[in-house]
Amino acid sequence: MATATTGRGGRGALGLLASNEVGLALLIAVLVAIFATVNPGFTSPFNLFALSRVMGIDMVIGLSMMVVLVTGGLNLAVGSIGVASVMLGGWAMQVAGVPVLPSMTLAVAFGAFLGWINGQLTVRMGVHSFIVTLATMSLFFGAMIVATRAEAFNALPRSFVDLGKLRYGGFVSGMLPLALIVGLGLWLFFNRTSLGREILAAGANPQAAELSGVRVNRTIVVAHALSGALGALAGLMLAARNGAALPSMAGHIGMGWLLPAFLAPVLGGTLLTGGVVSVAGTVLGAAMVTIITNGLLQLQIGEFWVQMCLGLILLAAVLLDRARSVIAERRRSVA
Amino acid sequence: MLKGIWGSDWFGLFVVALVAGTGLALFQPAFLSPFNLYVLLISFSLWALVAMAQMVIIAIGQMNLSVGAIGGLVAISFAGSMEVWGLPVPAAILLGLAIAALCGLLNGVMTHVTGISAFVITLATLSIFKGLNIGITEAQPFYGVPDVVKAFGNARFEGLPHMLIVPVVAIILIWLLFNRMVLGRQMLALGANRHAAELSGIRVGRVVVIAHVISAVLAAMAGMLAVARLQLGQPTIGDDWLILSFAAPVIGGAVLAGGHISVIGTCLGVVIVTLINNALVLLGIDPFFVQLFLGGLILIAVGLNRWRERRLAPA
Amino acid sequence: MTEPVLAVEGATKSFPGVKALDGVDFVLRPGEIHALLGENGAGKSTLIKILTGVHLPDSGTVRLFGEPVRFRNARAAIQAGISAVHQERNLIPRMSVAENIMLEDLPERFGFVDYAAVNERALLWIERLGLAIRPDQPVRSLSVAQMQLVEIAKALVLEARILLMDEPTASITPHETEVLFGLLKQLRDQGAAIVFVSHKLEEVFELCDRVTVLRDGRNACNGLPIGELDRADVVRFMIGRDERTAKLGDKPVDAADVVLRLDGVATSLGHAGIDLELRRGEILGLYGLVGAGRSELAKALVGIGGVTAGTVTVAGQPAVVPDPTTALQRYRIGYVSEDRKGEGLILIHDVGRNIGITIWRRLSGWLGWLGEGRARAACRPFVEKLAIRTPSMGQKVGNLSGGNQQKVSVAKWLAADCDILIVDEPTVGIDIKTKTDLHELLWELASSGKAILLISSDMPEMVALADRILVMGGFRILGEVRNDHDYGRMSTAIMGHIHAAEAA
Ligand SMILES: Nc1ncnc2c1ncn2[C@@H]1O[C@H](COP(=O)(O)OP(=O)(O)O)[C@@H](O)[C@H]1O
Ligand SMILES: [Mg+2]
Repeated sequence: MATATTGRGGRGALGLLASNEVGLALLIAVLVAIFATVNPGFTSPFNLFALSRVMGIDMVIGLSMMVVLVTGGLNLAVGSIGVASVMLGGWAMQVAGVPVLPSMTLAVAFGAFLGWINGQLTVRMGVHSFIVTLATMSLFFGAMIVATRAEAFNALPRSFVDLGKLRYGGFVSGMLPLALIVGLGLWLFFNRTSLGREILAAGANPQAAELSGVRVNRTIVVAHALSGALGALAGLMLAARNGAALPSMAGHIGMGWLLPAFLAPVLGGTLLTGGVVSVAGTVLGAAMVTIITNGLLQLQIGEFWVQMCLGLILLAAVLLDRARSVIAERRRSVA
Repeated sequence: MLKGIWGSDWFGLFVVALVAGTGLALFQPAFLSPFNLYVLLISFSLWALVAMAQMVIIAIGQMNLSVGAIGGLVAISFAGSMEVWGLPVPAAILLGLAIAALCGLLNGVMTHVTGISAFVITLATLSIFKGLNIGITEAQPFYGVPDVVKAFGNARFEGLPHMLIVPVVAIILIWLLFNRMVLGRQMLALGANRHAAELSGIRVGRVVVIAHVISAVLAAMAGMLAVARLQLGQPTIGDDWLILSFAAPVIGGAVLAGGHISVIGTCLGVVIVTLINNALVLLGIDPFFVQLFLGGLILIAVGLNRWRERRLAPA
Repeated sequence: MTEPVLAVEGATKSFPGVKALDGVDFVLRPGEIHALLGENGAGKSTLIKILTGVHLPDSGTVRLFGEPVRFRNARAAIQAGISAVHQERNLIPRMSVAENIMLEDLPERFGFVDYAAVNERALLWIERLGLAIRPDQPVRSLSVAQMQLVEIAKALVLEARILLMDEPTASITPHETEVLFGLLKQLRDQGAAIVFVSHKLEEVFELCDRVTVLRDGRNACNGLPIGELDRADVVRFMIGRDERTAKLGDKPVDAADVVLRLDGVATSLGHAGIDLELRRGEILGLYGLVGAGRSELAKALVGIGGVTAGTVTVAGQPAVVPDPTTALQRYRIGYVSEDRKGEGLILIHDVGRNIGITIWRRLSGWLGWLGEGRARAACRPFVEKLAIRTPSMGQKVGNLSGGNQQKVSVAKWLAADCDILIVDEPTVGIDIKTKTDLHELLWELASSGKAILLISSDMPEMVALADRILVMGGFRILGEVRNDHDYGRMSTAIMGHIHAAEAA
């Protein structure tokens, strides 16, 4: 039910099993069970707190990419936008003395603005957003570095840094519910508003949508702006966790975010070709990736092999998903 | 004939490169010094191979995000096999190329057999190859690179580095591939219209796999040159290749959807990027501006290309 | 009787939602031109694609010279000596004419493509087809007709024993067709076996030796000699009954109430001097051959491709339509595209989302809020009115049959409640029953006061529905015919306009 386009063919128990979200949820349950048995430290309140914090951040990063994937485009500049916005927010808080909430709003608005630029460039130039955001990831990051002289803001107000320490029930970071609320909002947006539906339609078949009176270009710009805003939000969450706004927090020109950004939606069943979105899948996808990373780090394989395991698991997940959809397709055409 | 050159993808770029070069030479005499030319050509050597590696995949209408990861993995395998196992240089080179061929094979076979987009597959393999690299090296460089390799990395004749020979040969071969060989033409046909290529009896799977292998081998050459240049097997080799690998072919007029690339244009794209880098250094401009310029340059190049396409398109 | 070169027995092929072929038999003999006929969607192209290795049949056998074969890809079919002109365009626009023609087998010398040989061999077939183009010209510089002929040359150059041609004459002129037929007859006399798919029955009777007709994926007849049949027989095989135009009631046209008026309109797509008047309650037909510029005119009217000269008047007011959104919301003009899959429908979305797309904005409340129940409820009346056969509103449109897909594409515009509806080839590729349903629907819509611009290449449909028929060619209006619903007179009058323009 979390898939925006219902009617995945087979209903009932089989149909449910064939759905991506259920598969992911099962996989997560299995992984948690394994990690918890192998390493008791996995379920310690301390680890759960750390895990839920990273999970929340990665979910927002994944959602930020998801909203652009829906249009059939992509946003390589999520990381750059996130960092650039946070540096602005950090400057506002620390240097300009703007209160925390307005500063955060400013950062998110700035992220939306950078995303809006991406959208406008994509639409106006008529080239794929891959190229546009490839250029702007470099452009935004370069501008940010020039403006900040690559220096961090590490004397952020207490009330902001405390957001990163927020915890519920002793072990759930405030970041996780925040991400879930954002997810819920996006689900409602894509399933219960006309603009959200139009974005999906335009992503699935721009010509048909255009001829049906949808302003396709506007849907693209909106999606990019939304992606920018979410990128900025993820940046703020990360800065609150780190207790500082760092130019390096998304890696070289923001590329450090790309893997989680693509992993979550792709694992969750959002099509790279656009038009189909799964918010729940993205959330679960992000959860799975963080659980695997966290669990692997705690096992004895050593931190240096974690990335390779992640890659292998991603590959396996993508292949499994493919096999699942091929089988589902076959069953339908026989029926 | 003249009209052909005018209408070609690369004429505008050629003028831009020429003007930029002349301008630099006039304002900064140091630009033409043999040492500066040498530095310039060294980075051209590396970038040209990286750009070609991506261009081959763009030609078939796909993307290869793992170019840098393959380059890095080969680089550390090359250096590591010589340091740890004491392999002779030629054997280490062969090992590097073989590893690349395997990586390419994996990318190609997976994309073709599963039908999953190359973007997703190479995103996954990027992580695997890079993960292998980090796992093997534990993020520490291999320092024991033999002197022959180091010497090759430093050798030059006036302004010409010896290692320039590698990209020059590669560029000529790739040019021949796409302009004169059946395989290359089939790659372009496949990139332009996969269905039509299939109907024309082209063995699509085979062509896709070969393209990925070629791409990986080019990335491997870049990786090994980087070892020779840096004089050590640095695990971070390849980390910063992604943007340039797309920037140069796209500046050179490649169509990202596939079916059209320009070898000369791509090389000129590399030249322009190298010149800009060099100019920023020579003119003492903050190196942080490099990113800004590169981003702006891609946008301008793509914008110009679109504009030209629209004007040339039959009304 | 000669041994068949190719024999198909009981071929069956299903796609999600349709059974395209259902136990089809087909026998091809050497030295014959065999017509493969059937309405759109009957399964002709699917049969061709099975013979060329594009699709594998779900069941059934294909025998080549008596030997069972199973082509896994196009390459296998080519190597077995089967070449084909497919219905869709399959050229590489940036490559030269010659390279496209020779792509199956580029001649090499010392490992390099021998372009001299490529051009030389391609030129031979370019000349035999009477094409006035250079072999080294890029394909993208050609006209639609020239591309079609290049496509044909590409098939001929293989000099295969078996030649399959799927609607090769759809977009070429009568003169070019004549040259092609001369060539095909020559090949037949040399012993080639040729399958010819066409909707133009005159061509079939002129060219072909035997006829196989498909209807809804089954054989309606199997390899009958053409001499034993007349046009009425063939039509009966195709549609399962006699040719009949739907009986439609009386429909008043309010001649005074002009809702759409074009004066000397030119567009960026190449139209010039277009004059047209569409009245309330009227069905105005727009007839023409492929490439006449009818769909393009329709698109210009809804804001795709600008009007560069002349005036457009909607309901008495001068109108500027920058995009389809404005066309829909301000001028209440809707366009039902001919390209159902490409422009009409969102195949991966469900029925509700396809029909609702034109009305979401109108339905939604504060902040664009629109519940799924409310959105679907608004679509339901149209699903019922058009009797769309779908298990639920949640069914993916891609899983519906062709006829039901077309109904969804029309339902979307019924929901939009436009005053002016441009309907482009509404009955292509759908079954007879749906076709009649749609005819009655269009009639009813016009009777209720809508104005309809009907674009159709289906002459009987045109004659049955239109009040007046405008004949288009070369992006201009060639003439007007007042419809008296007499098929013979009307078709003569229409073709008269077309031939006059061709002669000029
Ligand atoms: N690739 C495909 N996927 C799904 N349905 C298809 C496909 N190709 C053809 N069909 C369907 O099969 C039926 C027969 O199509 P086709 O063979 O193209 O008919 P014809 O060529 O006689 O007009 C139609 O209902 C069409 O929609
Ligand atoms: Mg057909």
